[in-house]
Amino acid sequence: MTLDPILATLIVVAVWFLVFVYLHIVGLRSRQDNAQWLVRSYAACSAAMLVSVVALSMWHDSGQTLLLPILIAVLTSACLFVLYVPAVYTILTSLSVATLILLRRTGGRMPETSLYDRFATRGIIQQRLCVLVGAGYLAEDACGLSLTSRGRAFARAFAFIQRVWCLGPGG
Amino acid sequence: MKAIILATATTIVLLVVVTIAFRFHQTAQRARQMTLIYLGCIILSALTWFATSVDLGFLPGSLLIQPNWLDFSLMLFFFTAAFFGGALQLYNLADRGFSLHILIDVEGTDSHAVDADWLVANYGGGKGLTWMYGKRIEGLLETKLVDRKAETIELTSKGERTADLLLAVRRFLRLEPQS
Repeated sequence: MTLDPILATLIVVAVWFLVFVYLHIVGLRSRQDNAQWLVRSYAACSAAMLVSVVALSMWHDSGQTLLLPILIAVLTSACLFVLYVPAVYTILTSLSVATLILLRRTGGRMPETSLYDRFATRGIIQQRLCVLVGAGYLAEDACGLSLTSRGRAFARAFAFIQRVWCLGPGG
Repeated sequence: MKAIILATATTIVLLVVVTIAFRFHQTAQRARQMTLIYLGCIILSALTWFATSVDLGFLPGSLLIQPNWLDFSLMLFFFTAAFFGGALQLYNLADRGFSLHILIDVEGTDSHAVDADWLVANYGGGKGLTWMYGKRIEGLLETKLVDRKAETIELTSKGERTADLLLAVRRFLRLEPQS
């Protein structure tokens, strides 16, 4: 029995994506910089996946139908990535998740004002500003903070989406 | 290839319908509105898949995904990922992204003295950080993960289960003190 080439491609994609998830988790557990580690491990696994898909196609039909397996592999891997990343970032950075965890650790209840004192503070903003400066979206000088060109492009793109979708000021 | 073409076309239709809905039929539950549009588009894509020929009338044999059930499944998967990982995430970020809105606020001000104190007062287009956190609390109340009793916020049983699961994941990732 021979496995259909596209089905075989999907199995290869799934295997390499699992390797990426494993590497990412190992990186998180060993306190690697998350964003950098995420991108590097995904890039490495994607490259390995493409090599495997090409090798599989060469072995199957000498690469005569190479275009379709590569397209399917890249798209499937990208789809898995965009489903995986938001889930990870929710666990890592969401204030709602942090609130639930704090409540659980303090016996399941807290005065509302204490939650605001903990999460609606300068410290939370300061923490995010450090991340944004580190990621190259903001630059800090003696006068205060300003957007880098990368940060400005990002902010303008999303401000445009907010306007088109009539979302109003969010946050 | 038919799967990719139909998933792409349906995603474009979804984005157009979502834009029209957000502009002309505003509701407080926009994520729910988007999900309903997604379900409508799933049905539309399935009907289109069955109503069209395997090669869409122009695809060469080397670009056909066989067997047919795999082509259909891939179309559903690509479109679902485009919705949950693309359109819905785009909405979540544009509506609630904390770091993103810091950037938008900095971009929108003429002041050069932007710092943490300024953002505490002006975050979210001038609404402030207290408003932002109030929105998070309201979200948790709406999803019944917490309850408000007098001036106390309390985990519901659903909230407890969710918190336990999240704590377990965070402990596994070594983001929490090990117990």
